[in-house]
Amino acid sequence: MNRDGRSRGGRGGFSRNAGSDVKAAYLFIAPAIIGFTVFVVYPLVRSFYLSLTKYNGLTDPVFVGLGNFRRLFTVDPAFWPSLRATGYLVVLYVPLSLALGLALAMFCNQRFAGVRIVRTLAYLPVVLPAVATITLWKFILNPQVGLANTILDKLHLPTSLWLQSPSMSMPSIVIVMLWGVGGTMIIFLAALQAVPTELYEAARVDGAGPYAVFFRITLPMISPIMLLQVILQTTAALQTFNQPKILTGGGPGFSTNVLMLSIYNNGFSNLGRIPQLGYASAQVWVLFIVIIAVIALTAKFSSLWTYSDNTPD
Amino acid sequence: MNRIIGTTLACAGLLTATAACSGSDSGGKSDGPVTVTVMTWESPETNTAIKKALEGFKDDNVKVQLVDTPSGGYGDKLASLTQAKKLPDLFWCGNDTEQQYTSQGLLVDWSKRVDSGDGGLKADDFVGSAMKNWKTSEGQMGGLPSLMNTYGVWYNADAFKAAGIAEPKSGWTWDDMYSAAGKLAGKNGAKYGLVADQLTSADAPFTMSMYSVSAGGAPFTDDVNHPTKAEIDGKYTEGVEKLAAAIKSGAVAPPGYDASNVPALFSGGKVPMMFGGQWLAAGFQTDKPKIKYGFAPFPQVTTPATLYDSVGICTPQYTANEDATYKVLAYLNTKVWDAVLPASPVAPPAYTPAQESYFNALTKAGQATVVDTVKADLSAEKTVGVRFTTQWASQVGDLTTAMYQPILSGKKPVSDLQAYAGKINDLIKSQG
Repeated sequence: MNRDGRSRGGRGGFSRNAGSDVKAAYLFIAPAIIGFTVFVVYPLVRSFYLSLTKYNGLTDPVFVGLGNFRRLFTVDPAFWPSLRATGYLVVLYVPLSLALGLALAMFCNQRFAGVRIVRTLAYLPVVLPAVATITLWKFILNPQVGLANTILDKLHLPTSLWLQSPSMSMPSIVIVMLWGVGGTMIIFLAALQAVPTELYEAARVDGAGPYAVFFRITLPMISPIMLLQVILQTTAALQTFNQPKILTGGGPGFSTNVLMLSIYNNGFSNLGRIPQLGYASAQVWVLFIVIIAVIALTAKFSSLWTYSDNTPD
Repeated sequence: MNRIIGTTLACAGLLTATAACSGSDSGGKSDGPVTVTVMTWESPETNTAIKKALEGFKDDNVKVQLVDTPSGGYGDKLASLTQAKKLPDLFWCGNDTEQQYTSQGLLVDWSKRVDSGDGGLKADDFVGSAMKNWKTSEGQMGGLPSLMNTYGVWYNADAFKAAGIAEPKSGWTWDDMYSAAGKLAGKNGAKYGLVADQLTSADAPFTMSMYSVSAGGAPFTDDVNHPTKAEIDGKYTEGVEKLAAAIKSGAVAPPGYDASNVPALFSGGKVPMMFGGQWLAAGFQTDKPKIKYGFAPFPQVTTPATLYDSVGICTPQYTANEDATYKVLAYLNTKVWDAVLPASPVAPPAYTPAQESYFNALTKAGQATVVDTVKADLSAEKTVGVRFTTQWASQVGDLTTAMYQPILSGKKPVSDLQAYAGKINDLIKSQG
């Protein structure tokens, strides 16, 4: 380029080359744009349209306005319990998964013989097929012949109905979900290893104990990752499907009938019954709004508890 | 750049061509024999027997092909094939599927053919209640009933003997049943004396109809296909009160009890009594439980009453060749069961001349109580449907979970039954 900012080929040459590059760039990103439009934008718009219709997937949709939403909020006896079950799951699972994941990560961040084996074992449940592990847990939690009650019985401790008790069914599902906490652990482990060691050394010189080191150095330094984990785990919990589908089918009562399961049942399942895709789409939009609201609130208040060093010099 | 565009277009063309070639040739219209496809929800063993039996179908112009289906997940597969308009020419379907699909205009109407006795299939030769239930309000039949589901109480004869209780037999009462359940609960590793999913699940209100009908009261609904009302009278309420008391005492398993492995627990002696269908006999014949067991008719109040239900075979309206499909359907109903049921006696055929092989197989296997109970069920005068077959049946299921099951669990008063029936009646009215 010359000092006046023009390309050597003159103005015309610059334009021709730049134009060609832009076309090539568009061509290269076209698959992504097409994919995004076809698989994200179109389904989004389509599902919103369907949420305003009575549609069974077989005959043409019939526009019913807000009828599906009205039925959801005022008629459907399953909707509010489903929302409650989803909320209960999030409240129970997210703090436990973060606490357990962090505890495991801190343990695996130590130097001891066999630490790599321990890390592998902790992560192993994540790579195992979810359906297989969940099915295995169904046997473990069987109240009559399951391993959990057998052990409790041998220890002369009170047994439980687990998945068959309305009060224990959701905690049981959370226990099964925590089996995959290795994924959370790995991210926390990476965050812990990124904390500068000189901070710990300085703290030791100042005579800080382990609690002070954890709450004043470790936790603030990994708080941005904690924020990420809160958002990821909350979103995942709101979309939980496999565990209640396989373990309880939503019961007993509506105790584990989370929103995703309800959406699936209305939209696709119910052996031999005509699906209610319009109604299920309305539920999808309610779930979508809930997720957006939760993420927005989490992000808004994150500055209160996350540490950032992006302060101006 | 031109080369990139050219390659992209070529790939797109190739994909389009591949897609164009991937359509089903089921019942193709090209020259040569027509292929009729069949899809079942049966086990691999039963499917093998069906496949072998279908080899006996001889017609130079018709070939039969059994479509492979994954074990389980039949409902999901059916839903996706329906929406993709790729249903096989003949597929196993429940009564509710047939009613709902027919009302949407998705199935071929066989009513005229069966009424005229086409293909040797005469309407009079089918079990009457099944034929009645397979007709829509307009008299259409999107399929034909194939096998009957009958129900009763499976019991562990050894456990009854050990507890000094008389074995259940025709004419026993609901009070007898709850009394026995109370005595059997908590013994030999059995938590509950009776596991009766049909009395506590989403279909529970229909099952309880047996009590009120047997006592001379009103059924829960006047018609499962075209209901005009749901009703809960004094006799019905009495039945619910007795069941709720039995659940409270721990004699009967409560709503929410996982019924998926109950037959296995029954075989292992951990469940002394369970409500169930006759189809369990086929599994017991293979697995040979260590306990001595029997199958009794449902208890009664004053007169016998039972549940009726049938499954069948349906055909999509876009089947390529109706004549060929009907020929295979007739063969399935009249001939195939003779070959399949002796090896796997899952159910009595709805086509009565084909029932002999089923009963013979059970008798040969020493399942005399199953024979007696199934025969009693098939000839029962008072019957009640197992569930609504309507498109809004799932909404009734939600009402049952929200209002009926908590009554059984003792969390809501029995008086709430009237409010529950009222909600269902509102639903019936809103659906026109």
